[in-house]
Amino acid sequence: MRVLVTGASGFLGKAVVRAAAAAGHRVVALVRPTADVSNLGWPDNVEVIKGDLRQMGAWRDHLDVDLVIHLAAAPSGDIATQFAGTVQATENLLDSLPLRSLRRFIHISSFSVYDYSIRPKHGIIDEATALESQPQARDAYTITKMLQESLVIDRCDDTGLECVIIRPGAIYGPGKDWDCGTALSFKSFDLLFGPLGAFRLTYVDNCADAIVRAIDADVGKARVFNIVDDECPSLWKYHNACRRAGARAGFVIPVPWLLIAALGRMVRLVNRLAFRNRAKLPELLEYRRQQARWRPLRYSNALARNVLGWTPSVKLAEGVARTVVKKADSAG
Amino acid sequence: MSVGVADNRLKVAVVGCGGIANEHLPYLASSPLAHLVGVCDTSRATAMFAQTRFGADGFFLDAQEMLQSTQPDVVHVLTPPQSHGALVSMSLKAGAHVICEKPMTASVSETAELLALAKTCGKWLIESRNLLFNDNVIKINGLVEDGTLGEIREVDLLLSLDLNAGPFGDLNLEGPGVQLPGGAVQDFLPHLAYLFLHFAGAATSAGRVCGILENLSGNGRVGFDHLDALVLSDNCRGRLRISSDLKPDMFRLIVRGSKGIAESDFYNPYLRVQLSEDSGKWAPFEQVRAGYRLARSGFGNLRDKVLQHGTYHGMPRMLDAIYKALASGGSSPIAASDIEATAALVDALVALRSTR
Repeated sequence: MRVLVTGASGFLGKAVVRAAAAAGHRVVALVRPTADVSNLGWPDNVEVIKGDLRQMGAWRDHLDVDLVIHLAAAPSGDIATQFAGTVQATENLLDSLPLRSLRRFIHISSFSVYDYSIRPKHGIIDEATALESQPQARDAYTITKMLQESLVIDRCDDTGLECVIIRPGAIYGPGKDWDCGTALSFKSFDLLFGPLGAFRLTYVDNCADAIVRAIDADVGKARVFNIVDDECPSLWKYHNACRRAGARAGFVIPVPWLLIAALGRMVRLVNRLAFRNRAKLPELLEYRRQQARWRPLRYSNALARNVLGWTPSVKLAEGVARTVVKKADSAG
Repeated sequence: MSVGVADNRLKVAVVGCGGIANEHLPYLASSPLAHLVGVCDTSRATAMFAQTRFGADGFFLDAQEMLQSTQPDVVHVLTPPQSHGALVSMSLKAGAHVICEKPMTASVSETAELLALAKTCGKWLIESRNLLFNDNVIKINGLVEDGTLGEIREVDLLLSLDLNAGPFGDLNLEGPGVQLPGGAVQDFLPHLAYLFLHFAGAATSAGRVCGILENLSGNGRVGFDHLDALVLSDNCRGRLRISSDLKPDMFRLIVRGSKGIAESDFYNPYLRVQLSEDSGKWAPFEQVRAGYRLARSGFGNLRDKVLQHGTYHGMPRMLDAIYKALASGGSSPIAASDIEATAALVDALVALRSTR
């Protein structure tokens, strides 16, 4: 199948291109013009197209594909920057694609779209969990990823195109270790917030494998798939795993979730009473954002396993070892 | 809100819902003087988001259609500069007052044409100059007006900001970052020009200008990223500088008079005032006092960052002044002659461009 991968030179995109090519698909990789694709290890038959979805450009001449895997997004910057790179870019892509002739549109969303302020059934976040009802109380990333997902679903529904939404957890791998789970570091001390809560990790190659399986899996009526690895370690266990693998992790100072939550609630009350909710605070102090990141919850990948036939092959110890080795190589 | 009050509000439409609209729309959504009847953007997702977020009555993809459908009293033109002329003209002819983001046009002749059209239509045309309404600019105004600083002799405006790092210099995008003859520098120049003219008291004359406007980075998209100019205007002189290769970011305003100096910064605001009596043996005491005030400014800036009282905090104040004047039938807080003088000084500065 001829597959267009947007955001192909990103952290996850690089792995998706490799996995899709390895699965026998003809990949058209859309990368930003300044991206260096010389050392990505992609096979020669990967067709690389340079372009930026924020602008209508020559990339539109390469859309004769069967399926799209849409990863492109702007994960950082202010609301205007993220809106342009995530929402407007997706709008431009959807406006340019021959939607009615595509076989499937696979959209890569995020766990950030879920509502973490409501305790889900049995404390497990799965595909049926409610979506965030107050994205403006979270951050620009949540706002724009929710808008992006909604835009994709609406346009696919309008045109009768089958749409699969993949919501990966925290993707880790060589080049991205989430600071070993640390919330704050002071010299040789690492503060772990909610250290016993599960870290919704997925190794980058595992996640790419799930996405590629969604290309031709018979998904039936399922549309959304959460992607986390089988083993979602606690933040403390992940920190230890990183240290054992050789990462320069500091001495752990565990900060219980209840303490973090109490601080967040107190700050929320002060903000409401003294500042009429005008204060914009760091993630560490905003209760709703604290909940999204550190509230102790469990995560299910049952639907992806059952419907996509996905099994995360890289286990935690191996994934961490690959991540730390790469970091050490880069530092060296 | 009662129907009667709602009827008295000015019907407002916004064209362009990108970055700068996020500074205009919060005021329009909350002001008792304005009723947001429509927002327009060529991107449907952007227009819909602005409508939902700021409670506009409707969203549009075509400005002409919005003008016909909503018949606004006021139109905010917040699109990229190259599209301002046509949209301002269309809005004025549709019978609306216009508030346009800077730079309104690429040249003083185009600005003069639009101002003449506004006069013919009997409507206000106002180019935004929000920094004049920032806290410390207002305080320095007070020092100038009560004679504390004496006769103003020098006004320096020094902006250090990497124009290549933002969208103007983004090499992933095609075409020029901004379609203005002075490149990215010209997008910021109106701020420097109107602040200089305001404190120099030279409302109609740009005086003599010398210096250089050049591209130091080699980034083609940004056009020009460095300006260093001296301006001589009647009894006042000044240095206007925009640098892309200096850190940290700053936007310094220094007003020097015959009796004292006032200095502030738009990015990390503080106010230092040195008077003639603070010299000689009293100078150390002034420095201690200035240090104390600087420390207080630091705490104030921390509070301002938390409460989102940023560089654009003068914008709602400016818009409120305009809307109050419109509602009461008063005169515009920003005169057409000031807008034209600013455009003339910007023209003179853009003429410094080198071909290097």
